[in-house]
Amino acid sequence: MPEDILVDIKKDYVLSKLRDNERIDGRKFDEFRKVEIKTGIIEKAEGSALVKLGNTQVLVGIKMQPGEPFPDTPDKGIIIVNAELVPLASPTFEPGPPDEISIELARVVDRGIRESEAVDLSKLCIEAGKNVWMVFVDIHALDDDGNLLDASAIASIAALMNTKVPASRFGLGGDFELPINDVPISVTSLVVGDKFLVDPSRDELSIGNTTLTVTVDRDDNIVAMQKSGDYLLSESLLDQIVEASIRVSRKIRENLLSQVSKC
Amino acid sequence: MRKIVLPGDLLASNPKLAGYGTYVEGDKVYARIIGIYEQTDNSIRVIPLKGKYNPSAGDTIIGIVREVISNGWNVDINSPYQAFLPVSENPEAKPGKKLNEVLDIGDAIIAKVMSIDPRMRVTITMKDKICRAIRFGRIVAINPARVPRVIGKKGSMIKLIKSELDVQIVVGQNGLIWLNGDRKKVAIAEEVIYIIEEEAHTDGLTDRVGEFIRRRKNVQT
Amino acid sequence: MSRPDKFIIDGKRLDGRLPDQLRPIKIEVDVLKRADGSCYIEMGKNKVVAAVYGPREAFPRHIQDPSKVVVRYRYNMAPFSVEERKRPGPDRRSIEISKVSKEAFEAVIMKELFPRSVVDIFVEVLQADAGSRTACINAASVALVDAGIPMKGMLTSVAVAKVDGVLVLDPMKEEDNFGEADMPFAFLIRGGKIESVALLQMDGRMTRTEIKEALNLAKKGAMEIYNLQREAIMKQFVEGGEENA
Repeated sequence: MPEDILVDIKKDYVLSKLRDNERIDGRKFDEFRKVEIKTGIIEKAEGSALVKLGNTQVLVGIKMQPGEPFPDTPDKGIIIVNAELVPLASPTFEPGPPDEISIELARVVDRGIRESEAVDLSKLCIEAGKNVWMVFVDIHALDDDGNLLDASAIASIAALMNTKVPASRFGLGGDFELPINDVPISVTSLVVGDKFLVDPSRDELSIGNTTLTVTVDRDDNIVAMQKSGDYLLSESLLDQIVEASIRVSRKIRENLLSQVSKC
Repeated sequence: MRKIVLPGDLLASNPKLAGYGTYVEGDKVYARIIGIYEQTDNSIRVIPLKGKYNPSAGDTIIGIVREVISNGWNVDINSPYQAFLPVSENPEAKPGKKLNEVLDIGDAIIAKVMSIDPRMRVTITMKDKICRAIRFGRIVAINPARVPRVIGKKGSMIKLIKSELDVQIVVGQNGLIWLNGDRKKVAIAEEVIYIIEEEAHTDGLTDRVGEFIRRRKNVQT
Repeated sequence: MSRPDKFIIDGKRLDGRLPDQLRPIKIEVDVLKRADGSCYIEMGKNKVVAAVYGPREAFPRHIQDPSKVVVRYRYNMAPFSVEERKRPGPDRRSIEISKVSKEAFEAVIMKELFPRSVVDIFVEVLQADAGSRTACINAASVALVDAGIPMKGMLTSVAVAKVDGVLVLDPMKEEDNFGEADMPFAFLIRGGKIESVALLQMDGRMTRTEIKEALNLAKKGAMEIYNLQREAIMKQFVEGGEENA
């Protein structure tokens, strides 16, 4: 994938600012960009959310249908997360089957939702062993100005909170709201030497895609982590990032809940 | 047995000692490859036991022509990088003579590394008295990392083989070795080279090799 | 496989191990003739073989980097390596594992020494057990040393899981499938010490304190594995010496 030359040029600027302990957009090191959430914007979908994280934009749509359960969880619904980094979102995205970056993104978002048990899958059983609700979470990146992952995670949980199970369409009784138990928040930091920048922008990521993502549930438990990129992480920095992520996640969750009317 | 070190082994706390096969970080000298630890008064180095040949200017190498192009030859030198031999660097090339009549695909040559640019484009030359197209004799291949042992300290090992067996030997730094002479003696030399390759990390190798050659010669005569 | 009622009985795990004990490990070096470096590892019931090729000319040419070597890592499971036949070829899980493993090695390989070339790391899971990615990284690390690739140090990998609220080292299948958390690590080991984290993933539920404890437990296990990796590499030279003594 060819790098965007304009972004590449930013690298020196980002680094020189960092030497003065500043970020190019004036944010604090542990400060997220502004998060704007709009839910229910796709009528055809069971649930949807458009999230703007600074200039990064992600749309998530939820589709549901009955299907066969996994053999090891016969009485539980199924959740499947998929991400498409479509070429319209960045000059470096190319058409074709999902590459390692979009697969990693989807799997990290999936782990956060799954491990926090955000969706109560036990309430999505139609007939044990035969028929359960399948929840498809499709992440559609629209504009990549950095940190698509956190934007996708926020959009995914917001869309799930906005989801109505379309039971009547399948002759399975009345529609009901998708049961939500938790609101996991993923916090990604760019690691630069012994510093870290929470919610890196595209310009900041020109230094390198060396990130650590920490997903936190509403009780401050860590439910998923992913180190991404060719760097070495010190133990002390790991703990600092975990601490900051817990702190930041509380603010984002509060913000999210205030914007998504339900809950 | 000589001391073998692995990547990341701490070798010294004085960066001034850092030699081949080492690297310095935070004032400490570490090994960067698997190899034999060697210390002199003013340096510490790691003699590689494994690994590919990385060309360096001035090296004698043996290569095989892979491609004939308009202005020279592309030569496989048993390294991550192909080398280029320009027409102007081959004394056998004469006006009016087709390039593939001078050297054709599959021909082996002894050449010298002339230059390497920062992107590792390697140019070789045949303008040296050691250089030639190889039209007779045998070529044997060993792990390039073991070449220093085949040559020995100040060429001691190679001198020993040459004098004991009276064969012509050119050792390419890239692990290819050309042998020429009496067929039976060349066969012994080849065996000896494989032994050195296998036992490169052991002590007293020169003595053992000398003994081996004398024993084999007696068997044959 | 069904979920066990208890994972730890009288301080011991289902396979009789203590919480801080590794599964049996066997390491063999230089097992493949054609590869530039290779290694076979058994870690529990994992049977894994790693091959390293390179540095070699990078093809197709557009993948070349003029300033450094390109590292490729392929984690692949044989169709017969699991209970139910696995469809051949990369799935999403193996693509993700390959990505994070590749990045871990990129952080320690001295890439600038071989511009325009490629180092290929191929790891085949012949039989899969819990923690196959950690076994693969341990094998690949040894194979890279065996290939003579310049590196800052060696990588050693091990996972920690949480079962019945207890942190356990190098989880077995039951602990991996039904445990409360799983956290694979890979460390750079240099100067005989664990220096930094090269690979880190986690899923499950853990507090910040538990993460610190998991890290310490993993470090202990990694040092044991590192010593076995070292021993295996050194063994080939000792044997060669004895034969001809």
